[in-house]
Amino acid sequence: MSVHIHVDGRRVPVPEGISLAAALVGSGHWTFRRHAVSGRPRGPFCGMGVCFECELTVDGQPGVRACLAHVRDGMRVETCPPTDPDDPSGGDVLAAAPGGAGTTEEGRGV
Amino acid sequence: MSDRDVLIVGGGPAGLSAALSAAQGGLRVALVDEHTELGGQYFKRRHPAVVARHGDFRPAGTRLVTAVRQAGVDCLTGHLVWGVADDGATLLVAGPDGAPHALRARFTVLATGAHERVLPFPGWQLPGVVTAGLALHLATIDRVPVGRRVLLAGTGPFLLPVACALLEVGVRVVGVAEANHPYRLGRHAAASLRYPARLRELAGYLATLVRHRVPVWQDTYVLSASGPDRLRQVTLGGRHAGTVEADVLCVGHGFRPNVELARLLGCETRPDPVVGEPVPVADVVGRTSRPDVYVVGEAAGIAGVHAARARGQAAALDILARTGRAVPPARQRRVHARVRRLARFAALTEALFPPPLHLLDGIPDDTEVCRCEQVSAGEIRATAGLAHNGLNATKGFTRAGMGLCQGRECGTAVACLTRAANPHAPAEAFTARMPVRPVPVTALGVPPRHAAGADRGRPAGDGTPGGEVVR
Repeated sequence: MSVHIHVDGRRVPVPEGISLAAALVGSGHWTFRRHAVSGRPRGPFCGMGVCFECELTVDGQPGVRACLAHVRDGMRVETCPPTDPDDPSGGDVLAAAPGGAGTTEEGRGV
Repeated sequence: MSDRDVLIVGGGPAGLSAALSAAQGGLRVALVDEHTELGGQYFKRRHPAVVARHGDFRPAGTRLVTAVRQAGVDCLTGHLVWGVADDGATLLVAGPDGAPHALRARFTVLATGAHERVLPFPGWQLPGVVTAGLALHLATIDRVPVGRRVLLAGTGPFLLPVACALLEVGVRVVGVAEANHPYRLGRHAAASLRYPARLRELAGYLATLVRHRVPVWQDTYVLSASGPDRLRQVTLGGRHAGTVEADVLCVGHGFRPNVELARLLGCETRPDPVVGEPVPVADVVGRTSRPDVYVVGEAAGIAGVHAARARGQAAALDILARTGRAVPPARQRRVHARVRRLARFAALTEALFPPPLHLLDGIPDDTEVCRCEQVSAGEIRATAGLAHNGLNATKGFTRAGMGLCQGRECGTAVACLTRAANPHAPAEAFTARMPVRPVPVTALGVPPRHAAGADRGRPAGDGTPGGEVVR
């Protein structure tokens, strides 16, 4: 019925099969990350994978949207990852730069 | 040679209905969805462990998904369609592992759905301020209450079922602030009598709220949300102005169709009359200005789940007829009549619950409008007022709309603020750009040749990804 996830090193029991966003919110965790510029706390917002506000690091992988992920026993979750100013990608695997001019590798913008 | 007749993008009610009708009619169908499960938002599936504890949710969705799989539809879940190749027809796709794919079929049906619109106010970026949709998913799919004392605000009939779902999981709903004044006797109420099923549904929600003593405050809207590092208090304006203590605020101002792929495919659009945002031009069966591209469901204009299913079915029947399958004309007529009828109901809803765009005139300059790039209302106003900048110039100067959500959260607001600051700015939306969603770098590469010899893509290096071109 219950599984355990580790939130910033703390063991938290959560119901099996729920979304990671639900697990965190249900256990009182609302700050999922801090804004890269202002450092202000951010939590989940849209709940459908659109806003990217609920991104956090899961089992070492950054940029996981908590609203789309399900909890798994032993899952390690890091909220508010420290930002390294020397890492231009912010440790991010996403290529996005969406919306800017010429966003893909071939500058295939519209 | 040809192994797919129809490629459907989006596995929600519209896409599933289109897939089922097309496959049952004998067409070879592929259904692509970015999520790991079919169902979309309305028919979002509970995890088996949650089903074991609480039973199924919306079993009609389970039946539809099962029927689609049994009908032999090739369901490509976890596949994100992120763009259109240079040929203007092949869809570029990121697989579950981030691998690049390219998909193409004789007909493309876009069932890309919609996302919730939230008009910004001071404090909307605080943890604890969420969309009504998030609260609904938590309550229904996960059976987790989003908070203890929850306020709902915005506009739309959608707020009511969300409030009811929250009550069901033990949330104390302190009120529903509806920016419009739809719940009263009048011309629209009289017109709604023609839709008894929808009216019954609405009456059911209102009765539940009355039973739980949840007030519905009409003509009332959020002025600001505040708290140290998460929400504590909401200030309301309008008829029931005042402050409300709440740990969660669920807010929604209707929905915005996901039209990026339709725009990238060159389908003609028209500005929707209320907000001015582009909606694909499509007829009753979803045919766009491109003969091989259909758009169905919420992507064709917000009309609800029943309309989405009917539109999906109408598109499939049209494709069946166009490919020489026998489709009883009476059946087609019946589906068309249903689509038209539900479109009239959607127009009625739209008239009752217009997004309160005028509230944007009142938000203070320091309101954070673009959440991703932290661009304030003041910066947008100043930039738009300068040298008569239009929307996309304002975006370029301020970076509003350039973050990870790609302007989905702030798009309506940036457009309205720009037009308010610069009356010469044309009514427009952010340009549709690729990738339509952030994708891993690996997905931008050239798809590998298909091992089984099914590859009908052009060789690598000519600019068009090859791979599994389904044709």
